[in-house]
Amino acid sequence: MNSTSFRGHSRFLDLLLGVGAVAAVVSGGGSLAARASAPALMPVTSYRSASCGCCTGWVKHMRANGFTVRDVVVADVGVVKRRLGVPARLASCHTAEVAGFALEGHVPAADVKRLLQKRPPVAGLALPGMPLGSPGMESAYGKEAFTVMAFTRTGAISSFSQHAK
Amino acid sequence: MTTPLRRRQVLGLGLAGLGTAVVGPVLWDRVQRSAARAQPAGAARLASRGGLADLELVAQATRGTLPGGPAELLTYNGRSPGPLLEVNAGDRVRLRLRNELKQPTNLHFHGLHIPPTGTADNVFLSVPPGGSFDYEFTLAKDHPAGLFYVHPHQHGLSADQVFGGLSSALVVRGDLDRIPEVAAAKETVLVLKDFASASGQEAAMGVGRMLGREGPLLTVNGAINPGLAIPSGGLLRLRLLNASNARMYRLALEGHSLVLIATDGGAIATPEPLDELLLAPGERADVLVQGNQTPGSYRLLNLPYQRSGHMGMAAAEDAPRTLATLSYAGTVPPLPLPKALIPVPALPKPERTRRFVMAHAMGTGMGGMKHDMGAMGGGGMAMGGMGMGFVINGQAFDPDRIDTRVALGSTEDWLIVNDDVMDHPFHLHVNPFQVISRAGRPESQRRWKDTVLVKAGEEVRIRVTFRDFPGRTVYHCHNLDHEDLGLMGVLQIE
Repeated sequence: MNSTSFRGHSRFLDLLLGVGAVAAVVSGGGSLAARASAPALMPVTSYRSASCGCCTGWVKHMRANGFTVRDVVVADVGVVKRRLGVPARLASCHTAEVAGFALEGHVPAADVKRLLQKRPPVAGLALPGMPLGSPGMESAYGKEAFTVMAFTRTGAISSFSQHAK
Repeated sequence: MTTPLRRRQVLGLGLAGLGTAVVGPVLWDRVQRSAARAQPAGAARLASRGGLADLELVAQATRGTLPGGPAELLTYNGRSPGPLLEVNAGDRVRLRLRNELKQPTNLHFHGLHIPPTGTADNVFLSVPPGGSFDYEFTLAKDHPAGLFYVHPHQHGLSADQVFGGLSSALVVRGDLDRIPEVAAAKETVLVLKDFASASGQEAAMGVGRMLGREGPLLTVNGAINPGLAIPSGGLLRLRLLNASNARMYRLALEGHSLVLIATDGGAIATPEPLDELLLAPGERADVLVQGNQTPGSYRLLNLPYQRSGHMGMAAAEDAPRTLATLSYAGTVPPLPLPKALIPVPALPKPERTRRFVMAHAMGTGMGGMKHDMGAMGGGGMAMGGMGMGFVINGQAFDPDRIDTRVALGSTEDWLIVNDDVMDHPFHLHVNPFQVISRAGRPESQRRWKDTVLVKAGEEVRIRVTFRDFPGRTVYHCHNLDHEDLGLMGVLQIE
């Protein structure tokens, strides 16, 4: 159960989140079949709010690329982001963990695999915002260029990979 | 009488390059203040005469400068914001739009109670590049006085065109302006608009179309930190328009209350002093400022605001930004605040309640391709849908599909539900509404609104009577990137 305390929001959001916390559930049981057939990649745990319409798209992308993913609904994903040290200005919708690294947002599976192979001295990768055309964000409305950033525990940020339109 | 801001010029429209160093807005402010004046553009104000407003707006790309180098801005008559349009209730309005852009455009008369059809507030028509269109309509004699907003509404391009600089404030003179204390105030229209930097690097940091694009350059009437003057004892009427694409303004004036006298659709009943005023894109407000403090300079601030509350993001900016500076100059005998304004009558009991749920999702969409959303997941555009975008009640905008049919003359409650991780300002064309409650809590005072902020996770109940004008129009999110990405529905009034 990953429903967590809520803080750092305005009062009305606290009220709503208080209600949401009761309803928060761990979902991910439906991925057992995918797990069984997945290659031996480190398991991923992904945290999202119930109302996120694109986070499950990323989970499916990761599963399609061989990762075992636990998809966890939480009341306040901000708590997870702070625990994992995701810089606020790199925030996206969902936050995930793999092998001690944080993954923020719609980071492509290929970048995650390179992270796990090279193990650079970073706290994690982030794709800030929700760029159109990134994994789980495929859209007939268009594509946006995006840059996956690496960040350290001390908040240093660098470019990890660039993706053209 | 409208008093233009003291000019500390403006977006470098028509200027030669100011130097190409990449500088932040604060430094740019200093650069701009010492720069030469821009070349004259069209008139800053276009007004009606003798009951007829004969106006022309030319939409064009205009060379200008932004920090980091030259940039192409979108302008009306060479200006961003475009000229202030000023008309009276009861006027005949003729407005020729000439399109000198390389893409289609059109106009929306945001907030006006005029027909949604023909040559009036018809957002379904499109003016091709090189073309022109003559908008023509008559404002009712009892049309509320207020601050309205003329901007493009070309589906798919609205955000690009407004973010690029296309907007004009439209003042309708009438009842509110005749209240003596209001008439005695010095009036200034403030168009709040952010611009991308010349490099556009902010987009790479995630402030893209899904969140709605914001720019780091905050301008008021196209100027960075312009000066406003108030005499000791005087009253200043600030008429505020959020003409930004996605940016919220959380306004506060150091040392002073902002005394609210009008919202989107016109006057409220009783002046209401505020410490802060939150304006979502498309919203307007009139506030009075009393010159009752120690003479000096006071900053009009934009305070940090978090508009993606369920993403766990920090506010994009964590410190107040200065929008303009109010300075005391001279003294007048103290002017009183008005005690009462104009009653806002309660609307009739609603005949029915509808529910509109806004979200981002793998949408079904254009051209009647309706599919199970479950089939869309992961594969994105499998089955020919729109893929990721925004939806109302599960459906992305389709101009050929009528989503909501209402009876002319009827009153309805609409429950606007934001089931998303970010805020959505909801805008309805043609008919003003009243907000009944937010998150179950009744509103303190009735106000005429056409745009209401529905925060992430929030529910807002509005009440609207569909008066006078049958026809087809729209409701949508006024974060214009969201509108272009599908968060819009078609309303048929019949």
